[in-house]
Amino acid sequence: MQNFGSDRRQPARAGGLFVGLLALVAVLGMQGCATHSEGFRSIEQQAAIRNIPGAIKALDQFHATDLAKTDETLKYLNRGMLLRLQADYSKSNTEFDTAKSLIDKLEAISVAEQAGSALINEGVKAYTGDANEQLLLYGFKALNYLQLNDFDAAAVEARQFDIKQRLITEKYPEAKFISGAFVRYLNGMIYEAVGEPDSARIEFTKALEGYQSQSKFTNCGAPSALRADLARVEGKTPSRSKSSKRSRSKADSTPDATAALAEANGEVVFFLHNGLGPSLAENLIQVPNPVPGQGTSLLRIALPKFVERPLPVMRFELSSGGQSTNSEVAEDVNGLAKKSLEARLPGIQTRALVRLVAKNKLTADAKKRSEQAAKQNTGDLASMLRMSMGTIMDITATLTERADTRSWSLLPGNIQLARLALPPGTHDLKVSYYGVNGNLLSTREFKGVRVDAARKTFLSDYYL
Amino acid sequence: MSKKYHVLVLVAALSAAGLTGCATQVKRVGVEEVKDLSGAWNDTDSRLVSEEMIRDSLSGGWLKRHLKNSKNEPVVIVGSIRNLSHEHINTRTFVNDLERAFVNSGDVRVVASKNEREGLRGERLDMDTNVREETRKAMGQETGADYMLMGSINTIIDAAGREQVRFYQVDLTLVSLANNEKVWTGQKKLKKEVQNAKLRF
Repeated sequence: MQNFGSDRRQPARAGGLFVGLLALVAVLGMQGCATHSEGFRSIEQQAAIRNIPGAIKALDQFHATDLAKTDETLKYLNRGMLLRLQADYSKSNTEFDTAKSLIDKLEAISVAEQAGSALINEGVKAYTGDANEQLLLYGFKALNYLQLNDFDAAAVEARQFDIKQRLITEKYPEAKFISGAFVRYLNGMIYEAVGEPDSARIEFTKALEGYQSQSKFTNCGAPSALRADLARVEGKTPSRSKSSKRSRSKADSTPDATAALAEANGEVVFFLHNGLGPSLAENLIQVPNPVPGQGTSLLRIALPKFVERPLPVMRFELSSGGQSTNSEVAEDVNGLAKKSLEARLPGIQTRALVRLVAKNKLTADAKKRSEQAAKQNTGDLASMLRMSMGTIMDITATLTERADTRSWSLLPGNIQLARLALPPGTHDLKVSYYGVNGNLLSTREFKGVRVDAARKTFLSDYYL
Repeated sequence: MSKKYHVLVLVAALSAAGLTGCATQVKRVGVEEVKDLSGAWNDTDSRLVSEEMIRDSLSGGWLKRHLKNSKNEPVVIVGSIRNLSHEHINTRTFVNDLERAFVNSGDVRVVASKNEREGLRGERLDMDTNVREETRKAMGQETGADYMLMGSINTIIDAAGREQVRFYQVDLTLVSLANNEKVWTGQKKLKKEVQNAKLRF
């Protein structure tokens, strides 16, 4: 009789163990109930006030609680970005390199993570970045090398990007928004700088096609300088429309004009990280379960929703001496991130529904076992625990349903670009940032910028 | 009792395995041991290139031709070895091997490269004011090179899904500084098939 009773308790024990494990994982995974994007605010605030060391410290503290190391890639992506903003380009690339290796390693499917995401939430999966983030990583690495004046190393990134972009296109053939147009445009400039005009022509052509294909989803078309670049490497003269001639003021040197002038002069290519990029919030959908005794008390799914943050700079003016040029948007990071989430959302919804069914079933089983335990109540602690398993499972199943709000949120909201042709020599540059209402927000000076004949000098700044 | 014992043994084994994974382990291995981890350019590739280039350059006809026309051994300077590949490759490893082989052979002399000589000239300049006259080395006594070693690394990568075929081609050339004539060209080709893991823990 004793043995028989003991055998009957085995499934209940196994179930209890599973529930306990689930609760433990849930506690580890939830990290104080704040979503990832909420917990990231202080880091962004430090970066916005240009306290980059403070932001890095806050970032390291933020990730110190990532015991499961699922956000490891994000940590390196964000560290790389902060170091880039701090103009520590070499260290930034070390961090970006680690992120890149992790992304490649995490391409392999983890059975444990897949099972975890089916039972707990998508946050238990290691973060690998969405396709556009992965492509931008190559762009920022290349920019770092350019700002370190290592053009050959930047060209290595350009070549790696080409393979990555091809693999991503194979994986998502319908996703026209993953063109990497901006990085291709940058790569064209890199190839031209290292004396590979054929590769430059191919990159400029693909960049133009990419900008055209993604224009439906973004607030930017192909930068005008790109057409001039393409025409130049093809050995043609850029054609100009009447409207573009009319809109050109005498004081302004438009991007295509600067590109042409750059042949004889040097050229400053200035990038602005404008505002903060994609942020995701949690969208909780929950209703009371009509039959709470046979599942969770609440039927809950949590989905990520896109939060667009306001961009501080509408445009900027780059000037030196009597020359000046206006910026253009070269990459609408927000627009692409929004489109990417829209494309991923049906899959996320399906997985959330599957998870809801699974959690409901597990909770129903746990509640049934609790009822059985209540009938055999011996009054000891183990018996009490078995009786409360149903309730514990119910709470755990509900609380663990969280949206995956992770994103590379230190990406800029958009990237603006200005190109200014200047004679060889040393120049003092002034950058004037204008807000949405056309008001002057601030100016920054870059003194003693060296410009060499027929070469590009790359500079960048950020305004968060 | 027996079941409990088995569980204990299992837990102990798992703990031991886990603890082993926690500690950093270092093991000395032979430099010629082939160990490919990621499929990227590594020490073995560099060694294969230097072995091929050393063998080819020292047995090449250019050396005989030079010695036939000149009483002195040829003097080589290392110029630009451009990395036109898909990877950040340190070309100094096999170039240094080649330099060492030239110097140690006694048949080819090597002078300091453009970057190296800046430091040497700075040191000589410093000597002018800081060292004893009998030990001071004068400016303008450098040996001029006869040939410049130039080259490039190129790659072709074909990737689909988790598979990649990586093809590396390393080209080195000795160019006469007198008339721009290419007197020797060495080439090493390497091909690798890389298959990335489908599953991880």
